[in-house]
Amino acid sequence: MAAESSKQFWKRSAKLPGSIQPVYGAQHPPLDPRLTKNFIKERSKGNTLPLKNKKASSFHEFARNTSDAWDIGDDEDEDFSSSFQTLNSKVAKATAAQVLENHSKLRVKPERAQSALSDMPTNCKVIKSSSEAQLSRSPEDACVRNALHKQQSLPLRPIIPLVARISDQNASGAPPMTVREKTRLEKFRQLLSSHNTDLDELRKCSWPGVPREVRPVTWRLLSGYLPANKERRKLTLQRKREEYFGFIEQYYDSRNEEHHQDTYRQIHIDIPRTNPLIPLFQQPLVQEIFERILFIWAIRHPASGYVQGINDLVTPFFVVFLSEHVEEDVENFDVTTLSQDVLRSIEADSFWCMSKLLDGIQDNYTFAQPGIQKKVKALEELVSRIDEQVHNHFRKYEVEYLQFAFRWMNNLLMRELPLRCTIRLWDTYQSEPEGFSHFHLYVCAAFLIKWRKEILDEEDFQVNPWGAAPLVGRRVGDIIAPVGWFMCRWLNIKQ
Amino acid sequence: MGTAEEDYNFVFKVVLIGESGVGKTNLLSRFTRNEFNHDSRTTIGVEFSTRTVMVGNAMVKAQIWDTAGLERYRAITSAYYRGAVGALLVFDITKHQTYDVVERWLKELYDHAEATIIVMLVGNKTDLAQAREVPTEEAKMFAENNGLLFIETSALDSTNVEQAFETILRDIFSKVQKQQQRSPQDNAVSLSSENPHGGSQTPEEKRACCISL
Repeated sequence: MAAESSKQFWKRSAKLPGSIQPVYGAQHPPLDPRLTKNFIKERSKGNTLPLKNKKASSFHEFARNTSDAWDIGDDEDEDFSSSFQTLNSKVAKATAAQVLENHSKLRVKPERAQSALSDMPTNCKVIKSSSEAQLSRSPEDACVRNALHKQQSLPLRPIIPLVARISDQNASGAPPMTVREKTRLEKFRQLLSSHNTDLDELRKCSWPGVPREVRPVTWRLLSGYLPANKERRKLTLQRKREEYFGFIEQYYDSRNEEHHQDTYRQIHIDIPRTNPLIPLFQQPLVQEIFERILFIWAIRHPASGYVQGINDLVTPFFVVFLSEHVEEDVENFDVTTLSQDVLRSIEADSFWCMSKLLDGIQDNYTFAQPGIQKKVKALEELVSRIDEQVHNHFRKYEVEYLQFAFRWMNNLLMRELPLRCTIRLWDTYQSEPEGFSHFHLYVCAAFLIKWRKEILDEEDFQVNPWGAAPLVGRRVGDIIAPVGWFMCRWLNIKQ
Repeated sequence: MGTAEEDYNFVFKVVLIGESGVGKTNLLSRFTRNEFNHDSRTTIGVEFSTRTVMVGNAMVKAQIWDTAGLERYRAITSAYYRGAVGALLVFDITKHQTYDVVERWLKELYDHAEATIIVMLVGNKTDLAQAREVPTEEAKMFAENNGLLFIETSALDSTNVEQAFETILRDIFSKVQKQQQRSPQDNAVSLSSENPHGGSQTPEEKRACCISL
């Protein structure tokens, strides 16, 4: 009976998130035929029983094989597999396993990954324990909660460097390249230097992460800013950069005119509040670049105009295009040492790539932000299916998805992730056809599910509904923040 | 048994509203955690924090909702006015523009919140006295004419922050008490610490606990 209705439900909702078709939107990770077969078989039987021993053990295998992807310690490893094991949807399992399997195929052997990640454990441990501490709710723990308040209010910033690792990557002390990495890089170089870059192939290669050496040009191609034809690229760049500075010449002076005053004022007060802790973004020259990019974009898109959050979206592009010209520490880099031409090219490229990104999610920022409302609802729907327990928990304690997920959608999780993770995540987003809109939804769901144990462990809810407070608003970000680390590793961010 | 923090008789929902950059988030963090952050980022959507304080002879859990000041967000944030029993309408004394739009905020508040909501006009950033653009008297007069409480604060140096919240909470509390006197059945509610949410509740308490979008 239940099985039957569930089957119909899936049939009915074929278009909604959760069907195998888009593989959570992932177009490029190769599907594991074994899993796909299993999934289809089970689906055709309409079997809704929780995945039992056999499947679970095969999933455990995946989890074990890919333990490097998320966690370092054994305990965390267990936590990871158990958190996924309890998902009650086969779709979630199949897809998670596919991603992990794909990851293990594409990527390193566990022992090497362990060593590659050896500079992380202390950080990760600290984060994990602090997130546990935040969530502890036994009476004896409660007395230390006030002390922890301070810690909570600074959302792990001292622990998670925002771009520190980017600079690490650039530092000469970076770990030597492995053979596999060299091969990968070679593959990218080949693709990029061919007469006509095979964009499908480039997307496929980029999905599990783009080597930083070729990231700037890869991003320009993936975003649709540069043409696949190599000979046309130089001219295109030249033309687009001129076009952008044409806009500046034409419109930028209007920022002080009455009809644009509000837009400019808002941008002007938001820029210093964008990445406030990173010295790079406190430099007047950088702030001026951001102001110009955002102002020009805003007045050329009157349907949305400038909306807070868009300022964050410039950052990854700016950093990636800047890294092309910087060998040392990016976050402390003094941009005045760069030539005017270089700065102009970084600015124009950031503008165009950000514009391309925003084209795909503009309804996030138009009046009443329908895109966000729709996506938050879709997230709710998705979670209700892949993890009913978490969903019901939220309902029971009146935690609205909009309360925490609004920001996830509006800022594309940039407030929850260190910048280097965002950059890595965008490698994947840009290799997906609807990465920033559709695929992002599933990443959000993955975030939530990753923390299901902590969410469900909120026993104090029984006594005090407002024990839910740590799960709403800012605090969800704090709880979710450590996921960024796991996410980075899942996405193979090389340390 | 709950902890001291959980022992409370009432939950009052108070919203912080006002233009972007006037210091709403820092007023919240100063009151709930005694912190000020020079590097705070823009608030996206809505966030909240709580603090339990003694008002008269009752423990009141103040649940303070911080909303983004940007106009675009209002379609979302206006939903959060529901159930609010108090509002701090904040402007920046060093930016006249943030004071000019106070009336617009007031209108929006009354459009979405209940008519009985208690509103306090807050001129923030008194630590920047040398850059003052809004004279105290002007704002005070406006508040009086519109039936609002008024105070000037500095989240940075803590001036009047406690007082601002205490005043509005006390006002709300006395209003609740009057209501209880008017409707004696509510007097049965002597919300015990073991079960602060069980049984019947005062309208305010119930409202404040049932926030939906």
